Amino acid sequence: MNVLILGGTGMLGPYVARELAPAHNLRITDVNPPEDDLPGEFLHLDAADLDGVVAAAEGMDAIVNLSVLRRDRRIAWDVSTRGCYNMMQAAVTHNIRRVINTGPHFTVAGPNVTECFDFGIGPDIPPQSGTNIYAITKSMGLEICRVFTQHHDINVQTYLFYNFKDPEAIQPGEHYAPFVISWENAAEVFTLGLDIELNALPSNFEVFYVFADMPHGKFTNEKTKRILGFQPRQDVETLWK
Amino acid sequence: MRILITSASHDRSAALADHLADRHEIRLTERTHVETEHEFVLSALGHDRSTNLLTRDIDAIVHSVEPLTGEDANAQLDAATRGTYNLLMAAAEEGISQVILLSTLELMAAYPPGYRVRETWRPLPDTLPPTLSAHLAEQISREFAREGSLGIKILRLGDVSNKTVADAVSEALAQPVPLTASCRSNDSTAPHALSITHVGERPQ
Repeated sequence: MNVLILGGTGMLGPYVARELAPAHNLRITDVNPPEDDLPGEFLHLDAADLDGVVAAAEGMDAIVNLSVLRRDRRIAWDVSTRGCYNMMQAAVTHNIRRVINTGPHFTVAGPNVTECFDFGIGPDIPPQSGTNIYAITKSMGLEICRVFTQHHDINVQTYLFYNFKDPEAIQPGEHYAPFVISWENAAEVFTLGLDIELNALPSNFEVFYVFADMPHGKFTNEKTKRILGFQPRQDVETLWK
Repeated sequence: MRILITSASHDRSAALADHLADRHEIRLTERTHVETEHEFVLSALGHDRSTNLLTRDIDAIVHSVEPLTGEDANAQLDAATRGTYNLLMAAAEEGISQVILLSTLELMAAYPPGYRVRETWRPLPDTLPPTLSAHLAEQISREFAREGSLGIKILRLGDVSNKTVADAVSEALAQPVPLTASCRSNDSTAPHALSITHVGERPQ
């Protein structure tokens, strides 16, 4: 499969690229240059550049959006919100039916979702990001994707993450969010998302929480395991053991 | 009352300013210069201090996300999303009591003809910038209301006259300011932090 990765040289991108490279042809874009050993073709591209994103998507079978800008109050909208609009326009233009979007957990579960008190929080709650700039810009991007799937034959899977860890670097007693995954384990879900038959998805717009099995049960990754066949590794358990 | 009206280059904003000026002090703003007899402040609704100064000493904002002539899709979406967020963030920081967002009943046009569509129904925007922009501006406003930082009244406008819009805005301004606490109370007669009103007939 020919796969366009937007924002592919960030924190998660290199893990995803190395995961997908053996089975797919990758075209990786970012505003930052890649590591020397990053597989695939690299294009310097800002996700906020509509014409550039549409051009980069030509000949692709799928788009994976890893682009993100968390704090800058201008660029966050450019990348996290309008970047999704540009990606969806590219998918429409080139008849690309498979799109994988990403974001933080509070794209849907903002401050009114009380992770202090509640349990079993899943990804299918009505999105309520709150006004945090990272959360709301990603949430508006998510909404743009949803609206496009209502009008076009495009399937969007959105993978939401919270806290990434390098298992080798975990220190006893260190802080962790109630929603943790190792970088390598996170990358594996993208293979599942590219491999799954689109008609095996419950709808053409699905959101998944991607994290390791954790004993406290604050959030649930059950849907990700059930539908995508995701297998959490047991590589971050030293956080609580 | 001191009222800030955005999208000053749009005919409806100009008409609204003229109508409200009899009883209120009006400040207009736009991201390009506009000739007007009212007070005018040029503003890109950025996240810098200028947007705070734009909203300082204002009692209410009437906001809409009308495109400028010739503006492309990305610019329209940027103004509707980032601009609305910056405006509402500044409004919350400056302690403004209420915001009226002028939206569109185009958001409900996809429901079948003959349906009695209520304000509580889910909007069905298309992917074209005018309605998608309006929808996203509503969504952003909703998050400010949800957090209780602003009381927001959304008026979804059908194909109505400027006079009808002005009357609806005047009525909204005269209603009690939505309170955060009321959103969580059991008092069904209390105003909510977010209210939506349909003005006119939806397109079918």
